[in-house]
Amino acid sequence: MKSLEQLTDSVFYIMSALTKPSHGYAIMNLIEETTKGDVVIGPASLYTIIKKLLKEELIILHDASDSRRKVYVLTDKGREVLTEDIKRRKVMIELAEKGLMEES
Amino acid sequence: MKRTKYMMSKGLAFAEKGDLEKLSKKAKQGWHLKSLALAGYRLEKSVPEEIEYSIDYRLLREEEKEEYFEIFSLAGWEHVCSSNDMHIFKALPGTNPIYSDKESAVDKIERLSIPIFSIGKFIFPLTVLFIIMMSIFHGPIEKFSTIAFCISLVFATPTLMMVIALMYRKRKLSMSKEY
Repeated sequence: MKSLEQLTDSVFYIMSALTKPSHGYAIMNLIEETTKGDVVIGPASLYTIIKKLLKEELIILHDASDSRRKVYVLTDKGREVLTEDIKRRKVMIELAEKGLMEES
Repeated sequence: MKRTKYMMSKGLAFAEKGDLEKLSKKAKQGWHLKSLALAGYRLEKSVPEEIEYSIDYRLLREEEKEEYFEIFSLAGWEHVCSSNDMHIFKALPGTNPIYSDKESAVDKIERLSIPIFSIGKFIFPLTVLFIIMMSIFHGPIEKFSTIAFCISLVFATPTLMMVIALMYRKRKLSMSKEY
């Protein structure tokens, strides 16, 4: 994960979860529940990605009152990057859907 | 007093997986990891258990520790022991791995590499310098540089082996499709 210009799936999931203020464990749970257990983010991956997103200023510390469960949220820059990546992913999906529909 | 014994590490740069598997095997025989020791692990006698171990490298500031260990613990990975930037966790067999994506697993190897690469940056040029001094000087300087070369070689050789092992692991992981 040298640069976050093109978001990996894990980063995309975590940023999506952080559109609302959330702490680490809640992020893991939300992703696992939403994908019905298909996607499970490991704790070391989650922590690594949170630190990276903080460094890139895509998220900020929202509430540190509970030092065990720090709450983060997307920054404006983070929202922008996520929106751009949704566009990129939509192009991918549209291409596939169009192709499949033409075939049938 | 509880019975303890020592298990030697094969070197985490080379045999992280092997070390962790051996620790699991020991736990099955009732020897549980207690703490990290010099170039190895201290085990304590307890009941036989099926345990999986994982290791992470991260330099944590004091105020980061609680959150870091909490995230692991809620994911089923209980903190066992730490030494500097090295943290060992245990979980029941079948617990989801601590690294779920390739990118952050590669980052882990990079963090492990930082101290080893910085030793390399210092020791490799020094070794070369002593070789050059050995070949151009005569008399006492030659003698001194020969001794200095031998000493630096003692440090340079394992460092070089670790650098190669880490570069190989990073490459292998980057190219794998496991994640």
